[in-house]
Amino acid sequence: MLRSLCRNSVRALATALVALAACEGAKRGVRGPLTVYAASDLALAFEEIVPLFQRASGDSVRVVLGSTGNLTQQIEQGAPADVFFAANVSYIEQLRGKDLIAPESQRLYARGRIVLATSERSGIRVQSLTDLLKPEVRKVAIANPAHAPYGLAAREAMQAAGVWTQVEPKLVLGENIRQALQFVESGAADAGIIALSLAQSPGIVTAPIADSLHRPIDQAAAVIRSSQNAEAGAAFIAFVVGPEGQTIMMKYGFVLPAGAGMSSDSARPAGAMPPP
Amino acid sequence: MSDWFPLRLSIGVSLLATVITVATGLPLAWLLARRRFPGRDLLDAAVVLPLVLPPTVLGYYLLVVISRRGPLGSVLETLGIDLAFTWRAAVIAAWVGSFGLFVKAAQAGLELVDARLEQAARTLGRGEWDVFWRVTLPLAWRGVLAGTVLAFCRALGDFGITLMAAGNIPGLTQTMPLSIYDHVQAGRYADANQLSFIAIALAAVLLLGVGRLTKFRL
Repeated sequence: MLRSLCRNSVRALATALVALAACEGAKRGVRGPLTVYAASDLALAFEEIVPLFQRASGDSVRVVLGSTGNLTQQIEQGAPADVFFAANVSYIEQLRGKDLIAPESQRLYARGRIVLATSERSGIRVQSLTDLLKPEVRKVAIANPAHAPYGLAAREAMQAAGVWTQVEPKLVLGENIRQALQFVESGAADAGIIALSLAQSPGIVTAPIADSLHRPIDQAAAVIRSSQNAEAGAAFIAFVVGPEGQTIMMKYGFVLPAGAGMSSDSARPAGAMPPP
Repeated sequence: MSDWFPLRLSIGVSLLATVITVATGLPLAWLLARRRFPGRDLLDAAVVLPLVLPPTVLGYYLLVVISRRGPLGSVLETLGIDLAFTWRAAVIAAWVGSFGLFVKAAQAGLELVDARLEQAARTLGRGEWDVFWRVTLPLAWRGVLAGTVLAFCRALGDFGITLMAAGNIPGLTQTMPLSIYDHVQAGRYADANQLSFIAIALAAVLLLGVGRLTKFRL
């Protein structure tokens, strides 16, 4: 009985293995979808842009969201990204220094903003960074400044406002900015500093933070050097900085930084931007 | 919810990882249960170590080994095989997580087998190979099966090692636990609940089933 049990299960597993191998073989035949690694502040905007691009180009797109630092790390380790939309140009520069991106494909695509956020349900409201010192604000969510540009900007703003040392013990660090938002949304944190681009999430109340309080969050994208989908990747970058993409990006509160080129500029080929 | 890919991937990855776990773990379990040799305690500790280490430590060093510049990854890359950030990395991650669990359960099962029965088989002229397959394993199957199911459940549930070594790529390496994490981050609580319920139900059924079948206390 044991023997036949063994034999049958071995047979079932062998079938499963063959099926798995067959899937893999089938996948290798085609080039696979365009894999876009994107900073998680782009979560909502890309939910709209990607379907538009897919309809316009016929390419299928897979989006991987995460903190810019984490994604950079993964790309350095050989992650299968075709295009990388970083939340800060410095990470693209870092990859360029290691010869991991196609330099002519690099483009600034947006400038990000940070805002204060609270959950509608909690009843707690913050109008300014100093409001974070209120006793009813016990936990403040930000993205991890060590590897998330929006977290870094949040820390810079709090330092500039002179509240950093008092707020620091209250901090809850999200693995990326989307998680920081989720901490606020779920009530785990009483307030947070999130990307303006995610502020349209339901149940979130926001208050502005002056952009003079932190270094500009200039966001850049580039095609990964080893990509088999380089052309589609460049087309996607062009789409995001083009009129259709920018309409949506602006809807989510992004502005196009000077030198990135909107309107007439967007007609020029990707890569025409001079290196900064 | 329409996307069942994470569940299918998780089951496929876990099945494959469990096969590898049993194939590599059974000889080791036998060795630990039946042989005394220098360094045995050290080996025993090394088997349990991954169970108590933070998954991030395992995931980090696994990635170091299998990434393109890693000792294993660079060799396989010349053969055209990518490991890091593919489903293969998810299989290795699940294997790393479940190996010790299987070995300890199988070892416990093997140790319960009366060594005199094996001795009797030897006196009747059976070789070690035959003794294992015809006497030891049929008597130890409860422990081995329990270990196999535990290994499968652990493989199904791995999060940390998979996240670090295979990434979180939807439609490619996003297993069920990673998909649940992603749903929660994006505030899609209904999807998160649905998948979580499936995960709980699957593990409960497997554990109850193996308990019933083997009368082995997990």
